[in-house]
Amino acid sequence: MTANLLNTLDLDRELSNQSPQEIIAYALDQFDNIAISFSGAEDVVLIDMAHRINPEKVQVFSLDTGRLHAETYRFIEKVREHYGIQIDVVFPDAYAVNNMVREKGLFSFYRDGHKECCSIRKIGPLRRKLLTVDAWVTGQRRDQSPGTRTAIPVIQDDKAFARPDGTLTKFNPLANWSSNQVWEYIRSNNVPYNELHDRGYISIGCEPCTRATGPGQHEREGRWWWEEATMKECGLHAVNTQK
Amino acid sequence: MKITLVKKIKLDGSLCRKCEDVQQKMEAADQMSLIDEVLLADERDPSSPGMLLAKHYNVEQAPFFVVEREGQQPEIYTVYFKFVKEVLNQKTREEDELKEILNDNPDLDFL
Repeated sequence: MTANLLNTLDLDRELSNQSPQEIIAYALDQFDNIAISFSGAEDVVLIDMAHRINPEKVQVFSLDTGRLHAETYRFIEKVREHYGIQIDVVFPDAYAVNNMVREKGLFSFYRDGHKECCSIRKIGPLRRKLLTVDAWVTGQRRDQSPGTRTAIPVIQDDKAFARPDGTLTKFNPLANWSSNQVWEYIRSNNVPYNELHDRGYISIGCEPCTRATGPGQHEREGRWWWEEATMKECGLHAVNTQK
Repeated sequence: MKITLVKKIKLDGSLCRKCEDVQQKMEAADQMSLIDEVLLADERDPSSPGMLLAKHYNVEQAPFFVVEREGQQPEIYTVYFKFVKEVLNQKTREEDELKEILNDNPDLDFL
């Protein structure tokens, strides 16, 4: 089935009531060329779930920004061996990184904000990877960014990364799960996890931009803590568009 | 081909920041002459033409472009630089495209 035949709005309503496993099963059933985005953190549950559903169809990629923790690299390798899968590790464009670093140094994000660095080290390779698939699966959850107005849907028509003249479907099977539910799954299913979690890291990204958080702190406080929370300005109010 | 640009008016009556920014870029690049119709998505009025179009195409971001070609499904562009490259066939800088995508999708930096 091609993605443009899917009515993502209706499907989102339908799939929102289903478990992450049911959503993943649906995604794997609908798309042959589908890949899971794995950040080396608790989104490992997606791989575990997909592997239990259809091990033959598990296609995984990770964005290696070049700035990840050594623990994360070890964990990605551990996951590869544990599930016996290939993980397509994708890298940023060397020329773009080289230009940025030469001009601004290795820690420009502390001064200029993280977006320039993230766009080069993360969004660029992500876009290149997504040009090769028809659908992708992320571990994004609503409780990760309480400040964002638009709720993360379970399934969406990904217009930003779609190929020219093509479509791309994005699944967020964990959208409705809380961090606690994810960790309950990890513990009860003996899923391997990144050792940084045992040291107080809730959210794990690049080493210079991630820190451990204290009790009661939101996981977002462990990322880009030197920046003020940014508000998404140009979302069309869901309240209005859903009427 | 028909190109429609939809801009958002916020609840306080002002144009959204990105819409303003895109409009300035388009004017500077003389691209507004290539737009056939400009519609407003007025958040104060759910029945405004732009809001209805956003609902019809399930678009949650502004500005956006609707590109209609004869005999083909309309195409929706929410990324300005992607629209410029793919529809207007004009050169863009990759870093501008990537920054725009991240700005519009702040949750992506969590990947």
